[in-house]
Amino acid sequence: MKHLQLALAGALVASLAVPAFAGKSDDTLNWATDKEIAVIDPYFSVTRELVIMGQMGWDGLVLFNSETGEFDPLLAKSWTWDGNMAVEFKLREDVVFHDGSTFDADDVVYTVNFLLNEENGVPAASIYNWMKSAEKIDDYTVRIELNDPSPLAFSYLSNEISIMPAGHYDNAPTGADGSKDYSSVAPVGTGPYMVADSQTGKSILWKRNDAYFEGGPKGTPEIGNIRYRTISESNTQLAELLTGGLDWIWDVPKEQALRMEESGQVSVVNEKTLRISYMAFDVDGDSGQDFFTDKRVRQAVSHAINREAIATELVGPASTVIHSACHPDQFGCTQDVKQYDYDPDKARALLAEAGYPAGFEFDLYGYRQREFTEAVIGDLAAVGIRANLNWMQYGSLLDLTHKGKTPINHMTWGSGSVPDVGAITPHFFSGGADDPAKDPRTAEALARGDTSVDSAVRKEAYAEALGIIAEEAYWLPMFTYAKYYAFSKDLNFTPTSDEIPRFFEATWN
Amino acid sequence: MGECHLTFLKQNGLDTVIAFFIKRLVTALLVVLTVSAMTFSMTFLTGDPAIAVAGENATQADIVRIREYYGYDRPIPVQFMSWLGRAAQGDFGQSLYLNQPVSIEIFARLKTTMTLGLSALIFALVLAIPLGVVAAIRPNSLLDRFALTVAVVGQAMPSFWFALTMMLWFGINWRILPVSGTDTWAHFVMPSIALGYFITPGVMRLTRAGMLEVLRSDYIRTARAKGASGFSILFKHALRNAIIPVVSLAAVQFGFMLGGSIVIETIFAVNGLGFLAWESIQRADLPMMQAIVLVLSVFYIMLTFLADVLNAWLDPRIRIS
Amino acid sequence: MTTPVSTSAHTSPTKQVLRQALNHRGVMFGAFVVLAIIFIAIFAPMLAPHDPYEQILSRKLIPPVWFDSPKTTWDHILGTDHLGRDYLSRLIYGARISLMIGFSAMLISGVIGTTLGVCAGYFGGRIDNVINFVITTRLSMPVVLVALAVVSLMGSSLTVVIWVLGLLIWDRFAVVMRSATQQVRGLDFVASAEALGSTTPRILFVEVLPNILNHFIVIATLEMAHAILLEAALSFLGLGVQPPDPSWGLMISEAKGLMFFDGWLIAIPGTALFLLILAINLLGDGIRDVTAPENRN
Repeated sequence: MKHLQLALAGALVASLAVPAFAGKSDDTLNWATDKEIAVIDPYFSVTRELVIMGQMGWDGLVLFNSETGEFDPLLAKSWTWDGNMAVEFKLREDVVFHDGSTFDADDVVYTVNFLLNEENGVPAASIYNWMKSAEKIDDYTVRIELNDPSPLAFSYLSNEISIMPAGHYDNAPTGADGSKDYSSVAPVGTGPYMVADSQTGKSILWKRNDAYFEGGPKGTPEIGNIRYRTISESNTQLAELLTGGLDWIWDVPKEQALRMEESGQVSVVNEKTLRISYMAFDVDGDSGQDFFTDKRVRQAVSHAINREAIATELVGPASTVIHSACHPDQFGCTQDVKQYDYDPDKARALLAEAGYPAGFEFDLYGYRQREFTEAVIGDLAAVGIRANLNWMQYGSLLDLTHKGKTPINHMTWGSGSVPDVGAITPHFFSGGADDPAKDPRTAEALARGDTSVDSAVRKEAYAEALGIIAEEAYWLPMFTYAKYYAFSKDLNFTPTSDEIPRFFEATWN
Repeated sequence: MGECHLTFLKQNGLDTVIAFFIKRLVTALLVVLTVSAMTFSMTFLTGDPAIAVAGENATQADIVRIREYYGYDRPIPVQFMSWLGRAAQGDFGQSLYLNQPVSIEIFARLKTTMTLGLSALIFALVLAIPLGVVAAIRPNSLLDRFALTVAVVGQAMPSFWFALTMMLWFGINWRILPVSGTDTWAHFVMPSIALGYFITPGVMRLTRAGMLEVLRSDYIRTARAKGASGFSILFKHALRNAIIPVVSLAAVQFGFMLGGSIVIETIFAVNGLGFLAWESIQRADLPMMQAIVLVLSVFYIMLTFLADVLNAWLDPRIRIS
Repeated sequence: MTTPVSTSAHTSPTKQVLRQALNHRGVMFGAFVVLAIIFIAIFAPMLAPHDPYEQILSRKLIPPVWFDSPKTTWDHILGTDHLGRDYLSRLIYGARISLMIGFSAMLISGVIGTTLGVCAGYFGGRIDNVINFVITTRLSMPVVLVALAVVSLMGSSLTVVIWVLGLLIWDRFAVVMRSATQQVRGLDFVASAEALGSTTPRILFVEVLPNILNHFIVIATLEMAHAILLEAALSFLGLGVQPPDPSWGLMISEAKGLMFFDGWLIAIPGTALFLLILAINLLGDGIRDVTAPENRN
């Protein structure tokens, strides 16, 4: 027995030569987040991961250039507006899909018509329902008609509308409940990378598309393979990065990022994002806890929270406190609204005035970066308000907020990386499912802004709505997110503020 | 043992064995039925299941269509029977999040979890049985005390702390084991140890107790008197008898491990059933949750059933009680 | 675990057990640590140097005093956590919550398990069969998975966690109590009580229960430890006690993000939890040794 054990131990040590991990040595960039990706399709998997991979595997007609703030031609060579309601695109003629078929106007028309057909049930309608139709003029010319003047049209075309080959979804099997099973549709696009292998809950391997067309704004991809991995435990992500099993992670909490930076083993960057953190109040009392129907209570909460401390101590140097329901970098986002500075005494006074001198207890919902929400709870406790935390996944929480079941939800919004107020404020204050207040005044003002292409009119309309939201304290806008990126010293990578890492532009040092 | 078993058969006839087998089988099936009823009732913890299934962006028409399709408008016993009927054919419905049939995903993950569970079990047995034997040969010796310490410490340390500490030393500081994933067998070393360590105390204690009992018995004394060597007594006679209860404990623990591997799978990014279960719980993917609970329960019931039959085979006394 | 109650023929079994207990190192260590933690939990408001909920973000992550860092201060002997709350005070208040979870869940499961076990063992026959079936059913459901699923569907709170754990971990009580009752039932004094016409409840409460009490205590300690560890696992996954309440499991879970860099953050509540579980287990094992020495295995 002893001999056996010794032999086993020997064998164990001998074979522990760790297999050559990925990275520069085998030309594979490994990155990870905590999401499980089952459907590799930018339309049917509404996740940030698929926005990122959508840019790798597919191309849109145009591409936003974060340096110039303009839109570069991508699958389109050029375009001309026909008034406010139609635009005609001339398409590139040298593009092929991953399956070898040639890209032309039919593919664009098919993609747009697929999105617009309600039967297909493509979620996230806001990204495409501004379009009315797409029409083929000739093989390489397409005309898109709009429903209304849409200032955000090109932002959506750039970040969200990926062109699929004609007939792409036609063979998706129909499930027993009548829904189509899009998970079995093989991902085919024109992008700089194509899917080589995928295992749900584990990894998706992309390999370089050597036939990618020359001279586009995405450049020519350099790194041979890019592998996405699902690792839900953040410690494990850190451990993998430190040992070379991963080359790139983000959303690293501040303290960990600082310690890794100190260690000098990896590159650490704090980059601002278009994502903001906010708390939405149950203004009409649907949740059954009606404390927040009283404006004074909402204002008390706003004064009780030390947002400055959270932003600087917990989020990172690129984060700033915000006062209006939008990101300061977005067009039309003014901070010139009623501001609630950190003042616990004033909060207590407002609470007493509202009839809660001893505070109260309520349910607080959150889903992202728990320590931020915990800090909020700590600040509320200091003025006598006891918040019971309900921690959920995004989808389930969204469901609850749509049903109005959350007294306060502490959530975030990334505006689909669109640098315009039109991508955030109208979503929350035009009377839709996410609108906590359903105030007709904000809905009216926002509608004016959304349907105009005149900058001055839009600015004024949005400022009016933002003013009402702050005055009534329907929301407590908290701070802008700043993301810590940590990546291998071998990797040459530059983060951008739109939260769409451009892996196709990355190179090895 | 073989001889013993044959004589028993001659005395009692094959029908006793078959009767025992059938009785246990019926009980097992009844347990499966009860467990599935309880699993099914989870549906009603969340309120209207049709809304949950329909998900976000669903229109009222979608919800009505789903309510009719899944039959949520029928009486609950009828719903249960049809759910059970479909489950028996391996149809657990559609995952709310992954957009594909639940059964496909579960069976894809089951293999990984089985591999992890088996290697954890082997680790535990390889560590625990020798320790238990040694402890029994020299009760109250230094080794016995060491074994006891292993047991007591193993029971008191939270598994996730143990796992992360292991990752820190073996993965980051010494770099002798890969941190996460399931690509090679080396990836399974740390998760197996983390998962297996917590069943070693039980196995060790049982081995020790069984050995002590057997070593004191007349059977061994007779073998000694017949001049069998110490080694032969220990392994040929004593351990063989002492191992019977350990086998059934191991089967039971294996079942527990499959259900308890959630934390370990999450930490080591093992994309098995435990990880799938945890992800499904977080995104309230009810059909997936129900199916996993049911599959794991049925698996456990099968294991205990097999352990019982095996035990009855090895030790005829059990059949009578 | 299935040996008969040791009804020693010697003059005073109680005294004998007590003397043995005092000489048993495991029992003494276990009892000392458990009592000390109970003491800390009861007198938490007097012992804690700070309000455990008071958060000062600018004073976060101060290391404990024995670290060589300019940030250390005797005002925070064990340092502060990621939100600048005094770690010692949170540890002290955490003892309350961890003990409360362990004790309440144990009590719930003890009542359920003992009732089922005693009924099965005493009445036997069909009742025994039914209860055995219930036990088997319960055993076949994966505890962690069901606990996670139910807590997530119902929403996590201290009460929910306690009830879910209590309703899930009664199986060992039932199994042990059943066999212990079976053995007691066969003893002379039960038979004579039956012959004298005592009512069934009277027999159960006066004759049976006191004689299986030692088994109850042993299982109670094990299950209390089990419940505390399960809560820690739930907390690790974010479904245990919710912040800002400090349970030790939650403190470990909050500290895990920095465990590769600031090991003390997880080591302090981890050691506290480890000591508590170790002490409870040693106490349980010791009580079993002392009351039924032939049963040590």
